[in-house]
Amino acid sequence: MPQTTIYVAPRLAGTLGTIPPAVATVELSRLFGRSAALAGVSLTVEMGRTVALLGPNGAGKTTLLRILATAIRPSYGSLSIDGIDALGDPEQVRGRVVYLSHATAHYDDLTAEENLRFAATMFGWGEREGMPVVQDALATVDLDGVAGERVRTYSAGMRKRLALARVLVARPSLLLLDEPHAALDADGMALVDRLIGLWRDAGVTVMIASHQAERVSSLADATVRLDGGLLAEVSGAGVAAGPVGASQRRGIAVAGLDR
Amino acid sequence: MTDLRRGLAVAVAIARKDAISELRGRQAAGSTLFFAAIVLLLFGFALGPDSQRLGEAAPGLLWLAIAFGGLLTMARLHQLEADDGAFEQLALYPVDRRAIYAGKALAGAAAMLVLGGLLLPVVAILYGIPIGAAWLTLLAVVVLGAIGFAAIGTAYAGLTVRMRAREVMLPLLMLPIVAPLLLAAVKATVAALGGDPLGELGSWLQLLVAFDVIMLVVGAGTYGFLLED
Repeated sequence: MPQTTIYVAPRLAGTLGTIPPAVATVELSRLFGRSAALAGVSLTVEMGRTVALLGPNGAGKTTLLRILATAIRPSYGSLSIDGIDALGDPEQVRGRVVYLSHATAHYDDLTAEENLRFAATMFGWGEREGMPVVQDALATVDLDGVAGERVRTYSAGMRKRLALARVLVARPSLLLLDEPHAALDADGMALVDRLIGLWRDAGVTVMIASHQAERVSSLADATVRLDGGLLAEVSGAGVAAGPVGASQRRGIAVAGLDR
Repeated sequence: MTDLRRGLAVAVAIARKDAISELRGRQAAGSTLFFAAIVLLLFGFALGPDSQRLGEAAPGLLWLAIAFGGLLTMARLHQLEADDGAFEQLALYPVDRRAIYAGKALAGAAAMLVLGGLLLPVVAILYGIPIGAAWLTLLAVVVLGAIGFAAIGTAYAGLTVRMRAREVMLPLLMLPIVAPLLLAAVKATVAALGGDPLGELGSWLQLLVAFDVIMLVVGAGTYGFLLED
């Protein structure tokens, strides 16, 4: 098995030397038209924790992860990542948060190595220092033998492996994985489990949205369950639910709440 | 790495990535060139064999073909990002938005320059225009036109890439804004081909430079907002 190096963003100290939570949301809500994908979610996650984010389809898992990644803005509520106001200063947060989405976000006419070298540049690696990082990442996800082939020729599982390799060339403090096991075979799933373990050991906060409840729960310190856009259950170490949000008390108008 | 060097590295990486995708997806780039050449050919037939008439119409038709081909090019360079969620990933990288804009605009300008450079001899052959003495001036006009078109096109393609009817919306939104650039480019081309008897070439070139600078500044300043939700 190849050596895998995990790169991590430097830790930030909070006020008076305290460690700020990795994630702190207050009343986080997101409306799409008149329906709420997320309704008044208040949640705190300690740094370095691995959290399983569970719930049925349409529960709001992906919406929550996309808000945390700063891909979309909440309709209401506030959000801080590592103590940084993520809505006020999203650019600073983007250097610390890495999001693995459903879409693998590759360029089909580029080879796997070219895709990864591009990602390495975007994550701040120089041309020379980035090359070994890219090669190591390709070897870790077992794509080093086909790294010179265009991504257009890749299967769904190979594309997912390449997306994982992109996460390996990043330097996250908070890692958001949306269905990381999807499209992968048994070996691929085992690889994801191993990488999550490595990120956890390196002190990265990991949030995993998944329908494979048993699998991700065994990897996680805590479980957060969403249902209909609401925070349904929080259990385990290092995670706390905030007070019931005003928007929940008002019963924010919402398709999600009708379920 | 300083902010400027980092921004430059990001812009070059984006432009290189787009250029590789364009070159490997040859059928798309080839069809754009073919489409622009067909526009020139059809207008040539419509105008008839009168060489004076063809010569008078040539500068306008050249820029019409460049504009049509440029619209397709701009849309395609952003379509690369729309496929497979790459645009969202691009927005999430921890890089200066202006560097992303610079990279996309650089790729667009290079593609436009190639398009203009290839269409110039096509116009010369089809419409019987001697461009020998004016080639350097014409090249300068094409370079300035390509930069301005790409500066606007990149911003508008970023605006429309998430729209469902982006193929319709891009020309609809962009053509009114790009009209002054096309006017200046046509006038500069006329002056360059005609030997500039009225000494107006310099003014049109200055207008093109001013237009390019303004559009690059506006584009770089607004592109970041287009990447946000």
